Amino acid sequence: MPRIGVYICHCGENIAGAVNVEEVRKYAENLPGVVVARNYLFMCSDPGQELIKQDIRNGLIDRVVVAACTPRTHEPIFRKTVEDGGLNKYLLEMANIRDQDSWPHWHDKEGATEKAKKLVASAVAKAAFLEPLEDRFVEVTRASLVVGGGVAGMFAALDLANMGYKVYLVEKSPSLGGNMAKLDKTFPTNDCSACILTPIMVQVGTHPNIELLTYSEVESVEGSIGNFKVKVRKKQTYIDWDKCTGCGDCVNACPAKVPNEFNEGMDNRKAIYIEFPQAVPKRAVVDIEHCLSCAKRTIGTQPRIHSKTGEPILAPCEKACKTGACDRSREYNPEGEIVELNVGTIIVATGYKVMDKAPFKEYSPQSPNVITAMQLERILSATGPTEGHFHRPSDGEKPETIAFISCVGSRDKRYHTYCSKVCCMYMLKEARLIKEKYPETNIYIFFIDVRTGGKDFEEYYNYCRNLGIKMLRGRVGAVDELPGDRLRVRAYDVDLGAPVELEADLVVLATAIEPAPDLDELGRKLGITCGSEGFLKEMHTKLYPVETPVKGIYIAGCAQGPKDIPESVSQARAASSAAAVPLTLGKVIVEPLISEVNQRKCTGCGTCVQLCPYSAISLVEDKGRSRSKIDEAMCAGCGVCAAACPSGVITLHGFTNAQIHAQIKALAC
Amino acid sequence: MSSEQAARGVINLSESDSSLVNEIKELGGEELMECIQCAKCAAACPMVLAGFPFFNKRIIQAIFLGLRDALLDDSSIWACQSCNRCTEVCPREVNPFEIIQAMRRVAIREFALPTLSIEGLKSLYDTGHAVYLAGAGNTRVKVGLPEKPPSTVANPDALKELQAVIRKTALADLGIIPMDEPGV
Ligand SMILES: Cc1cc2nc3c(=O)[nH]c(=O)nc-3n(C[C@H](O)[C@H](O)[C@H](O)COP(=O)(O)OP(=O)(O)OC[C@H]3O[C@@H](n4cnc5c(N)ncnc54)[C@H](O)[C@@H]3O)c2cc1C
Ligand code: SF4
Ligand code: SF4
Ligand code: SF4
Ligand code: SF4
Repeated sequence: MPRIGVYICHCGENIAGAVNVEEVRKYAENLPGVVVARNYLFMCSDPGQELIKQDIRNGLIDRVVVAACTPRTHEPIFRKTVEDGGLNKYLLEMANIRDQDSWPHWHDKEGATEKAKKLVASAVAKAAFLEPLEDRFVEVTRASLVVGGGVAGMFAALDLANMGYKVYLVEKSPSLGGNMAKLDKTFPTNDCSACILTPIMVQVGTHPNIELLTYSEVESVEGSIGNFKVKVRKKQTYIDWDKCTGCGDCVNACPAKVPNEFNEGMDNRKAIYIEFPQAVPKRAVVDIEHCLSCAKRTIGTQPRIHSKTGEPILAPCEKACKTGACDRSREYNPEGEIVELNVGTIIVATGYKVMDKAPFKEYSPQSPNVITAMQLERILSATGPTEGHFHRPSDGEKPETIAFISCVGSRDKRYHTYCSKVCCMYMLKEARLIKEKYPETNIYIFFIDVRTGGKDFEEYYNYCRNLGIKMLRGRVGAVDELPGDRLRVRAYDVDLGAPVELEADLVVLATAIEPAPDLDELGRKLGITCGSEGFLKEMHTKLYPVETPVKGIYIAGCAQGPKDIPESVSQARAASSAAAVPLTLGKVIVEPLISEVNQRKCTGCGTCVQLCPYSAISLVEDKGRSRSKIDEAMCAGCGVCAAACPSGVITLHGFTNAQIHAQIKALAC
Repeated sequence: MSSEQAARGVINLSESDSSLVNEIKELGGEELMECIQCAKCAAACPMVLAGFPFFNKRIIQAIFLGLRDALLDDSSIWACQSCNRCTEVCPREVNPFEIIQAMRRVAIREFALPTLSIEGLKSLYDTGHAVYLAGAGNTRVKVGLPEKPPSTVANPDALKELQAVIRKTALADLGIIPMDEPGV
């Protein structure tokens, strides 16, 4: 007969505020198998844990039920307690009477107390059937994958590489850099973005431990912590990158014009292009969708021969290329190439995208002089479409009056309810850069409220006010086009309590920061989820901010939510050290909560084989009969097979039929 | 401001006067730009309770935006009681009271001042008091005070010195009040 100890936590007021703990304790005392029931203010504190250990050491109990908060954070803690007391750590069962009881039923104390009794009874019923289990260990592949080559991804990769681990860095664009590469100068110190970013890009590009896979995307992910098998698609560049030197001769020769993504569509690039002058790697790619196949040079065909000269007729790009990297006669697979990587841990740092201006009809998005803040970054940048000359798009005139509009698409139920967090600061920054260079410019910033929390940010804000940048509280209601490429901005100044109007030459919209496109799809491949705002969800906002519910997968930078560069880098470096822990240990504990087949009784029907989402089950020949076999390293313990087996011969340890039935029965009475 | 806009009560920022900020700074409102429009001064100000359209915080915002005409067309700036509560509470040491004084200096330079103020200035020059009740002598004696207060009123030499000082201020250049030099 098992001897069960029940330990009920008050969790300060968190549980005791809704549940009558003493009543639950008395109830638990009389449950079958229970020999002792205690309560304590904080069960997870040292004295709380000591209560459990003492009862085990005194030989009083051999099974433990803790009724407290969530097993997600606290099961590991109490398992350790049980182990330290001298029992097998799997002889523990938890009842979550906080998240599942006191919190949702806070205003129904009687009901909450009754529910706590049920939850405890069901945990006790299961505990009676608990069996000791042994941990398994799997060897860890000492390599890591980083997805996304923005500032966050690059720092995560560099840290791991500097610790001596092999890192694969997958970036979907042709070059590293991400959004930061597009910025002119960066708050709060106003250093030039390229000057601080380019050296990092070069370090990443030349690090002996980093294998760069740019113009590539994750295709599929299998396995689990320690041993992920990742398929990556290297997209077709139609250029031999081993030969390409990035000289740009082909680019100059190409006649096809395509809106330039790097300059936010404000000028054109060619069909064959190098993403930007400081690109790493600096290599050309052919955008095959927009390629004109000049001189009928469809990829993979032989050139026609000139009837007079006898020379082959080549496309301008091939003709210009001196290295032979651009060779259209070669057969290229349009699907690119699949490479398979084995890694122990994965960091996702896929960043963000800025919202387009088009949806904001009230702000005359059709006007070329209504631009997004990211477009302004490109206008201000020396590598941008105007080479750093401060010109407005419609006619190249220098704007005399500029209006910035905050929270465009942020804090707005029609688009994104969250605050994009960085726009207040980057608007101040852009306004300041302009005002410092052209003090006579009139700059107005229309705010809902100014949010400049952050180290040195308030000083920055005050400095900008002192420069004479005019701040108005009140969201702009309309921007109308006037003759002469002028724009009329209409708002209500809350401080004056009056409607105001302004004629501006340029209107800058601080459009929202959104998750990178297809982030949810990438999340599905990895088994991690996005929150309601579309950004990747961390395991615990406060305590496990870079971990995800999938062990061995970590997140960093704007993929997790809007943030600035200092925060992105801090998070990246936190993620890299978290991802290094399993690599350093060399092996990871895998909970023995996995399925096992009783091969003697298996009929070999194969039902389970089809159903296992982790391809962990196969049929093997045994004495002329077919039997199912589960690969321990691959089984994730989901239990699908155990539920489906028609012969009932699969056991999911930790959730056996006997345990689950007992639990349900206890709930039903 | 176009008449149509004025009718709608719309403030046209494009017609605002960006020189106002510097003028205020030069005329004693040095800390103007430190104001973050928190409204703490307004919470302390009797002008708000009396219902004036412009008061410390709002005067400062109007100066930021260069709304010179709006401030000059309104009498609010003359309603400040000089109680200095705002200066005591302002978290950013803006000294809002001084800003209002600076705005008065701007107004005077444009002869945009109420007749009541002209009388006050004249009285200041003639007697040394902005407000002086000449007929109060008997009452003073009745309560045991000297007939004339022990100030410039009782001391013609001191009055002369004060007048000499006033003649050296901007007030003399403006010619708002007659400033006869005695004996000239
Ligand atoms: C207008 C503007 C101005 C700003 N100014 C400043 C400033 O002055 N100072 C400051 O601190 N911050 C500023 N920021 C914020 C700053 O841009 C971000 O904090 C920073 O770029 C975030 O870096 P990241 O690496 O997380 O994301 P990103 O820079 O977005 O990088 C993500 C990378 O992942 C790649 N990627 C995306 N999806 C995939 C995929 N599925 N597979 C592979 N790769 C993928 C992308 O191509 C990209 O290269 C500004 C933001 C804006 C919009
Ligand atoms: S064939 Fe070459 S030159 Fe012609 S459009 Fe395509 S990439 Fe450009
Ligand atoms: S950071 Fe500022 S501008 Fe951006 S959404 Fe938040 S409050 Fe609005
Ligand atoms: S003057 Fe001072 S108290 Fe008044 S709004 Fe400005 S900062 Fe606040
Ligand atoms: S000094 Fe003037 S502005 Fe300041 S609180 Fe007193 S009355 Fe108001």
